[in-house]
Amino acid sequence: MILFHIRRSLKDLMGHAILILFPLILIFFFDYLYKTIDIQTGMEVEGQQRLALLVIGFALTFQIYGAALSFETLAADFYSPMHDRLFASPVEGRSLVLSVLISGTVVSFLQSLVIVLFSFIVLGASIPSLFVVLVILLVSVLFNQLLGTVLLFLVGTSKAANVVTTIYGSVVPMLVGLYFPLPDSALFRVIRLYGTPMSLANTASIRAMEGDYGSMALVMLPIAVIIVLLFVSLKPLVRRIEV
Amino acid sequence: MVLQVNDVMKRFNTNLALDCCSLHVEQGEVIGLLGPNGAGKTTCIRAIIGLIGIDEGSITVFGMPQDGKNKSIRRKIGYVTQEITLYEDMSGRDNLAFFASLYGMGKADIQVRMAEVGRLIGLEGRLGDKVKHYSGGMKRRLNIGCALMHKPALIIMDEPTVGIDPQSRSFILQAVKELAKSGVTIIYTSHYIEEVEAVASRIYIMDNGHIIADGTLRELIARIRGDHFIEVEVRLASEQKRKELLGLADVKEVALEGNRYTIVVPGGIPILDKVVLSLSEQGLVTINTKQPNLEDVFLTLTGKQLRDEVAS
Repeated sequence: MILFHIRRSLKDLMGHAILILFPLILIFFFDYLYKTIDIQTGMEVEGQQRLALLVIGFALTFQIYGAALSFETLAADFYSPMHDRLFASPVEGRSLVLSVLISGTVVSFLQSLVIVLFSFIVLGASIPSLFVVLVILLVSVLFNQLLGTVLLFLVGTSKAANVVTTIYGSVVPMLVGLYFPLPDSALFRVIRLYGTPMSLANTASIRAMEGDYGSMALVMLPIAVIIVLLFVSLKPLVRRIEV
Repeated sequence: MVLQVNDVMKRFNTNLALDCCSLHVEQGEVIGLLGPNGAGKTTCIRAIIGLIGIDEGSITVFGMPQDGKNKSIRRKIGYVTQEITLYEDMSGRDNLAFFASLYGMGKADIQVRMAEVGRLIGLEGRLGDKVKHYSGGMKRRLNIGCALMHKPALIIMDEPTVGIDPQSRSFILQAVKELAKSGVTIIYTSHYIEEVEAVASRIYIMDNGHIIADGTLRELIARIRGDHFIEVEVRLASEQKRKELLGLADVKEVALEGNRYTIVVPGGIPILDKVVLSLSEQGLVTINTKQPNLEDVFLTLTGKQLRDEVAS
């Protein structure tokens, strides 16, 4: 089932091209901007670490939109006549949902991987502790996929879920300081570092690149807790769509 | 007995979708479930499969109570949905394999069965193509094929020929007959009377969520044997005239389809002259008296003509 959904998802070449090419263009653009114009980045870092954080920041941002691709798939299966065909089978509703969710996670992680590897090889981005950073990206993908799924089942239409995701995907990167510097205050510093799930994943990546794995684990803990909570909330939501 | 539905009631808010619906299906039968749109056919089917709960009554499938959770029941049912439910970007082969895998079939079994099903639905040479490149008829056939992969003991086909060309329809009916010959039990719902006549060994007629008649085609026609059917085609028919005809003494039912009235009268009553007189102002084109068929049974029992209901 999972393999089928991965193959099915990979048929949407345009969607994947956008989710890979667009962040790469933005990384290139912002890197060029910071190199040529004397402005401060939103993440208060310079040089190689700045490029690394741009790569991670945009990879994390486009994971949010990657979740939208998954819930479009879920909506096509569970809010359409396909619902009856799938639920007429002996497979549990939760397994049907999880197979789409896992395939979405794999595909979205592959997108992040391509972005990171392209930046590493072509743009010369240096990302220390690359493997650990990739693990953080994987956890973040899982979080975004789960969040998108829960959101879809709560609102009941992919259109409404798309609107919420677009707003979320636009605001959250700003709060990380990805596009422009935030006001220099303690409150905004806390928001930038820990205020949103994306901030947490971003901060955890910085800690990993600094080699501070203890802090990294602490920062990732809330995301892990939210992932568990989202998983738990999925059960009654799936039961709701079963009939 | 494969299926027993006893006095099932199902409400959607205030709308009574199934009203004391009862039917039974024996092993190897091909049951035609006939009724206009909104009669409750799909609701009945969804309740049998366990996709919706029921408010009252009971449903037993293969001797097991249908509570919506019984996986052994689902394993034995092949459901052909009314809408085409296929993955358009995937190939026919991918679709067949995916739906077979949902029923726990292994890769080797799927390959063997795919060849059989491909032959039965006449798509053996096109299974490698993406579904989006199929014609409407081919999609319909694949839609059926996906429900046959796991060799179900009971196949439920919900309006499997909607919106396709006559050639594909005839192919599908032939496939249903072949399946019936192999001993599979089939429930075939349709609002196309000629299809039900062609494939069903027994027929249930449904209207307003209720089974209003059942029996073999011969038994159903025998119920109205005493009635005569007059078909009159005029140049310009009207609903007002239909009501007027219905008001004539001894007229039991009048249906209007296009410019053609079908008038049901008790046998032996000389009423043709009155009908001709009444309709002459609308410009008579043809007048026929005919032997009753299933459509006439439906008209007599429900006061409706099935095709009109579909069109509306």
